[in-house]
Amino acid sequence: MTWGLELASVRFGTRTALDRVTLVAAPATVSIVVGGDGAGKSTLLRALVGLVGLSSGASRRPPKSEIGYIPATAGLYVDLTVEENLAFSGGAYDVTGQEYAHRSSELLERIGLADARDRLGGQLSGGMQRKLAVAMALLHRPALLVLDEPTTGVDPVSRSELWRLISAAAATGTAVLATTTYVSEAHRASTVTLLDQGRSIATGAPSEIVGAVPGKLGVVRSAAQPRGPSWRRGTTWRLWSPSGVLPEGTEPVRPDFEDAVIIACLADERGG
Amino acid sequence: MWPMIVKEFRQLKRDRRTLAMLVALPVLLLVVFGYAARFEVSNIAVDVVGPQAEQVAGLLRAPFQVVDVDPPAGESFVVSRLRDGDAAVGLVTGQRPFLVLVDGTQLFAAQAAESALARMTVTGKAGGSLAPAVAVRILFNPKLKTSWIMIPGLTGLILVFIGTLITSLGIVRERQAGTIEQLAVMPFRPWDVIFGKIAPYLLLASLDLLVIVVVGKALFGVPFVGNVAIFALGALLFLLVTLGMGVLISTVSQNQGQAIQLAIMFVVPQVLLSGLIFPISSMAAGVRWIAYVLPLSWYIDIGRGVMLKATPITALVEPLGVLAGMAVVVLGLAMLRFRQDLAPSVRGGRAITTAPAAVPS
Amino acid sequence: MAVLAETRRVTKRFGTFTAVDAVDLAVASGEVVGLLGSNGAGKTTLIRLLLGLLRPAGGDALLFGALPSMSTRRRVGYVPQTLGLYDDMTVLENWSFTAAAFGSARPVLPESIRDSKDELVGRLPPGLQRRVAFAVAFSHEPELLVLDEPTSGVGPLSRARLWQDIRESTEHGTGVLVTTHNMEEAEQCDRLVVMVDGRVAANGAVADVIGSATVVQVTCDDWRKAFAALEEEGLIVQVQSDALRVPGSPGQVEEILARHSLPATVATVPANLEEAFVSVVTKGTHR
Repeated sequence: MTWGLELASVRFGTRTALDRVTLVAAPATVSIVVGGDGAGKSTLLRALVGLVGLSSGASRRPPKSEIGYIPATAGLYVDLTVEENLAFSGGAYDVTGQEYAHRSSELLERIGLADARDRLGGQLSGGMQRKLAVAMALLHRPALLVLDEPTTGVDPVSRSELWRLISAAAATGTAVLATTTYVSEAHRASTVTLLDQGRSIATGAPSEIVGAVPGKLGVVRSAAQPRGPSWRRGTTWRLWSPSGVLPEGTEPVRPDFEDAVIIACLADERGG
Repeated sequence: MWPMIVKEFRQLKRDRRTLAMLVALPVLLLVVFGYAARFEVSNIAVDVVGPQAEQVAGLLRAPFQVVDVDPPAGESFVVSRLRDGDAAVGLVTGQRPFLVLVDGTQLFAAQAAESALARMTVTGKAGGSLAPAVAVRILFNPKLKTSWIMIPGLTGLILVFIGTLITSLGIVRERQAGTIEQLAVMPFRPWDVIFGKIAPYLLLASLDLLVIVVVGKALFGVPFVGNVAIFALGALLFLLVTLGMGVLISTVSQNQGQAIQLAIMFVVPQVLLSGLIFPISSMAAGVRWIAYVLPLSWYIDIGRGVMLKATPITALVEPLGVLAGMAVVVLGLAMLRFRQDLAPSVRGGRAITTAPAAVPS
Repeated sequence: MAVLAETRRVTKRFGTFTAVDAVDLAVASGEVVGLLGSNGAGKTTLIRLLLGLLRPAGGDALLFGALPSMSTRRRVGYVPQTLGLYDDMTVLENWSFTAAAFGSARPVLPESIRDSKDELVGRLPPGLQRRVAFAVAFSHEPELLVLDEPTSGVGPLSRARLWQDIRESTEHGTGVLVTTHNMEEAEQCDRLVVMVDGRVAANGAVADVIGSATVVQVTCDDWRKAFAALEEEGLIVQVQSDALRVPGSPGQVEEILARHSLPATVATVPANLEEAFVSVVTKGTHR
């Protein structure tokens, strides 16, 4: 059973927030949607879980009791303790008694908060708060886990640990869909969807997206911006030639995932 | 420094809520202190009963306004009229001296009546006309104590604060933290969430109400002579109106600051124009209608009636009915708006819910 | 290359908590230095020391060769994470306000933001807001730019364009200090200073920070079982698209997988910046 969106559109008055997006969230996989602010990532997730109505298209999801959702803003109660937060989740999803005791201990152990049950949510660091929110969403072993920018603003070490937690959930069979603005994180997924202004510009496994790069990519080591579609990478410029012909003095280079994403955006800009 | 001033003005001109307050507040205060804030009572409703009713009625001048002349009726009739709030003063003829019964819960009317009667007796003696001595008896609040009429009103104020201000802050706080979104995705029904959120405030407000009444009785000797059930009913209906207002405010506010601004605009007029401080009958006719739109005015009727006069339910049908109607409208609107946040309607597309094939390990 | 800002073994304590511990940092003109560290590692405190908003408990913080003061601070452009723009004013109004506050003769709005000059900042898309914030900070032609998480929340193309703006400023001789905990951003810097618990844990170009760190890459048909098996043995497994990455030795990994009868391809590959950073941090905190 897979879930996702099929040619889903969401319009708010004259503004189209999501434009005919198709996306699949399959069990035991991590799918990531990457895009900047305003691309429509949150709207996409909210359309999938039912927080916002679709203007057209279809949204396929499991019943509420099988979904775990973490919005972009924390997702836990800062004035409740770690234990109380988990208990609330338990009560809401009907995870009680022995099962609750076992599951909550297991999760707290995993996120390193086993000794901090009585600490207030507000006293935890940003990274810890996110981990707790993920634990709360995993308490009832949902079939679909949806996370809105789970690692934005989180320190790198916590970010790493968060991804481990998320991967572990997928390893046990959960379908995971997350959004991010970091291209390097999108690389972790088995399926990536690149979203810009509500449209899906590219979708597929990271290797597929890299393989689908049109034209040729080169490196230019001058100080001035070369002519043609180009962007900075450290102290050098990347120059993309849609026609496949690179100008003199340019070193051809194989595009990495980040290059592929930028090229997809540029190609879309030109074609669109 | 100059750039700072320019910047502040530019920002202010775009802040609609603050601008509204800057305009609305002075206007409100002007209206209140110009037309509404009066302690002088210019007309006092009088019932005259007993054998000489008609003659005496003819002698009464402003500020008295005769509303009923009923020769066959006697003292008990007048007392029930006062209890029901249909008249402020009752004149019982047929004995010497005439008995004047005054409703002590209408403080300023009572005081005005007393001084008017004193004037009449004095001029009567001087003019030598029929100016019988009168015996004045103040009912329900014999010592005309201000605390006795304020405390029932105070209970209403507490209900407004908790019901509207505190409830709206509680809900907006969740909205700001983003957790309301999450609640919508959890297996809760919208009704669970709404009721779960207002239930604690309902309980707390009721408790506070109880405390004030008990303290009022203990410290100030405020009596509670009426039917507790009627009082509870009135309080409940009023609470539902204020809670509904609180939820409504929370659905149009993005943060606590905005919620407080709206709550203030709801609470302040009620404090000033509901008859809590300035009697409604003294307000200029043009602004008196405002009092009848405010829920607190109706609640105070019930509160003062039940606590001080043991007003029967038959006389309180109007205020109870109005509050019930307001509760239905406000709560209904609030629920509709809140539901939208929690369970948006599907506009065009399809939402397919399917159970997962196998339970994950 | 002139050194614009520098700290020499600067230390700052708040009560018993040492926020910054003997840190050496230097930003020269024309270079981009990245300050990389977790929240609470001391990045913000260090910046405050550099700007003279805090006084050091030990060591020195120098701005343009002297102690930080109002006049030297004027030569610094600062963009906080929250951008420091007024949402309820237009781009042009924000620009005028800063120009007037710094007393600079009104230079012209840069081309990149000129089209939106009459739009309310609050209504602009975030990527454009950031370009405006950057332009406003740069409007009084500062010699040193301090940017706090400059591309947080921004899409890949906007990020590339923002970095273009940043690089352009260095061509005029401006020195840039960037704080970040985003690896993509860190990779754009000339030099990285990694902070852990108030101390400098690593210092140098990106390649130097990674050094010769490696991880073991595992490709397996049943990644789920492989993941579970390796995690059970206490290894820290990261998933990367269709492969698993584990610190440790290939032999160890092969042995575990063999025990669980999981056929897989095992290879040693260079670590990426994030993996190197995590190992620097975990080594640093376990002194």
